[in-house]
Amino acid sequence: MATRIPPEERQTNLVVALMATEIGLTKQQILDSVSGYRQRAETGARADALEKMFERDKDELRALGVPIETIGDPSDPTDLREARYRIPKAEYDLPADISFSPAELAVLQLAGSVWSAESASADAQAGVRKIRALGIDGDEPIIGFAPRITARETSFAPLQTAIEECRTVTFEYLKPGEQTPRLRVMEPLALLDFEARWHVYGIDVDADAERTFLLSRIVGDVTVTKKGFDSALREGAGDRALAGLRAVASRNTALLEVTPGTEAALRLGRRAKAEVQGISVPFVDLHIFADELASYGPEVRVVEPAVLRDAVIERLTAIIASHADDAATGRDR
Amino acid sequence: MADRPLLATDRVRAYLTLVPYLLERGQVSLAEAAREFDVSTTDMRTMVEKLTVIGLPGDSGYWQQPHELFDINWDLLDEEDIIEITNDVGLRRVPRFTAREAAALLAGLQMVAAVPAVSDSGLVAGLLAKLARAAADAPADVVIAPSAVDEVRDAVSAALRRGVAVSFRYQAPDSAPTTRTVDPVQVLITNGQWYLQGWCHLREAMRTFHLDRVSEPELTDIPISHADAAVPDAFGGAVDDAEVTVRLPRRLVPLLGDYVRADNTREIGDDVIVGIRLSDPRGIKRVAGRFGGRLEVSEPDTARSATREWAAAGLALYRHP
Repeated sequence: MATRIPPEERQTNLVVALMATEIGLTKQQILDSVSGYRQRAETGARADALEKMFERDKDELRALGVPIETIGDPSDPTDLREARYRIPKAEYDLPADISFSPAELAVLQLAGSVWSAESASADAQAGVRKIRALGIDGDEPIIGFAPRITARETSFAPLQTAIEECRTVTFEYLKPGEQTPRLRVMEPLALLDFEARWHVYGIDVDADAERTFLLSRIVGDVTVTKKGFDSALREGAGDRALAGLRAVASRNTALLEVTPGTEAALRLGRRAKAEVQGISVPFVDLHIFADELASYGPEVRVVEPAVLRDAVIERLTAIIASHADDAATGRDR
Repeated sequence: MADRPLLATDRVRAYLTLVPYLLERGQVSLAEAAREFDVSTTDMRTMVEKLTVIGLPGDSGYWQQPHELFDINWDLLDEEDIIEITNDVGLRRVPRFTAREAAALLAGLQMVAAVPAVSDSGLVAGLLAKLARAAADAPADVVIAPSAVDEVRDAVSAALRRGVAVSFRYQAPDSAPTTRTVDPVQVLITNGQWYLQGWCHLREAMRTFHLDRVSEPELTDIPISHADAAVPDAFGGAVDDAEVTVRLPRRLVPLLGDYVRADNTREIGDDVIVGIRLSDPRGIKRVAGRFGGRLEVSEPDTARSATREWAAAGLALYRHP
């Protein structure tokens, strides 16, 4: 028996074995009997190498959502030498009382198609597939609409992992107008797509207060630390994050003058309230709003607040400087 | 169909759903199963063949007995490319959603909740609750702030549903307003913006319309005649469009959004150079305006000077109050 058994076979065998046992299997029983380990043990693989392989398989299966339970020695829970492993059916199976109608499946199929990121899209499709495996066929697909979610920031995935595992993260954050980024330590609780920008909401550990950060201002990698936090903090976090940003928007209002019939008048008009002179528009982030206003060039003038006006003037001045006539100095930076 | 190689964990994940799927559906063609699991038929055949060496634990020194392993109808597979499990030893039930699967679907649901066909169904709230309950671990909260459906979005959706052309006033940037009649094909919702893609009777071609620039929408009674035309690449630009070259720091590239593709960028040190196709190169002035000087328009000169003059005209508003 010289053929090597590939890891997917070994891991699937492990799932089958751990689901077939009520009382659980010890590590030794698994290594001796489950196909994939057994053959290696027979050909003289070292015990510690096999144990390491089992630990890795267990971690990978847990990452796939497979609930592997460890039943330790009740008198000494830290002693895992005689621990038994099993997969409780009640935690593995999709609850029997949950079913989906064909109309619901059609909605979920559209929901599953929105992610443009490959990994999230694969996750959504795998979820839809599970419903299809229940024997449910969807209604006619909902056509004519192509909603898309994009998450281009590389910080998205590690932040999602940290939220799932309730672990503190650190990252460098560059505030607009500051020259150097500052290290932030955060207990991340929710990710939020607000006005087409991704935010992470959580507790800033140094400030000991709730904060919302823009993913686009995170510089470099997000580090997921080993330090955990109480999972109860996550309850209702998404709603709190959304309410927080809405409250900010309702506090910040700009008074603007726009030229009728222009792009600025159209785009800003959607969000605006008419004033005696000009329009008032709520905004969440001064710098992002200033970026947008600068893009309208002469189509809009900021009346107040003064900080927003100054921010727009600063941007317009910088654009002129970086596009100076002198092409040689402008291009060979 | 996925062309990337399958990892071991991908295959394990697939097996856990494939077995209940096959047991539920009896006989399934190789092609259909491959489509369902987004793998090639070759990969699907290999997976199904390998299923027959998976089974319950065997005793040390002994082979597993046939009834302790999965088995399939080999004749049916070899002769008709049809999969049928004839002996199963576990994995009968569909597993719970992983936290990631649930999170991806929950966010997707919030996104599609604004689609009239979905919001009219009244199914979203129930689905959100079901998905949360059916997850193995608590999914991370991924919230998509809802976008409002206004009169224009409503009218366009109604035109799509009824299969009739819609006419409206369209105000493109830097040009005079026009009246358009469009056979709607698709509504694209991305980055919080809604776009109508359809056959424009005026231009006699497929076009993409930003719905913020649409006003006075009216449904016509003209049945649509170009529903099967290919949807344009909304942000790719046409081949005969001029290319504008811009340079910006790498970390700002995500802010360029859909203008960035794998084939139109190259890196120089910490900067990235992007070639953007625009029907009017001067239109880059609005894109550049969002970067406050950190994105530089390099070529052509008309685009570069248009950017400078646009900002200068904006600045002039503040010099002469």
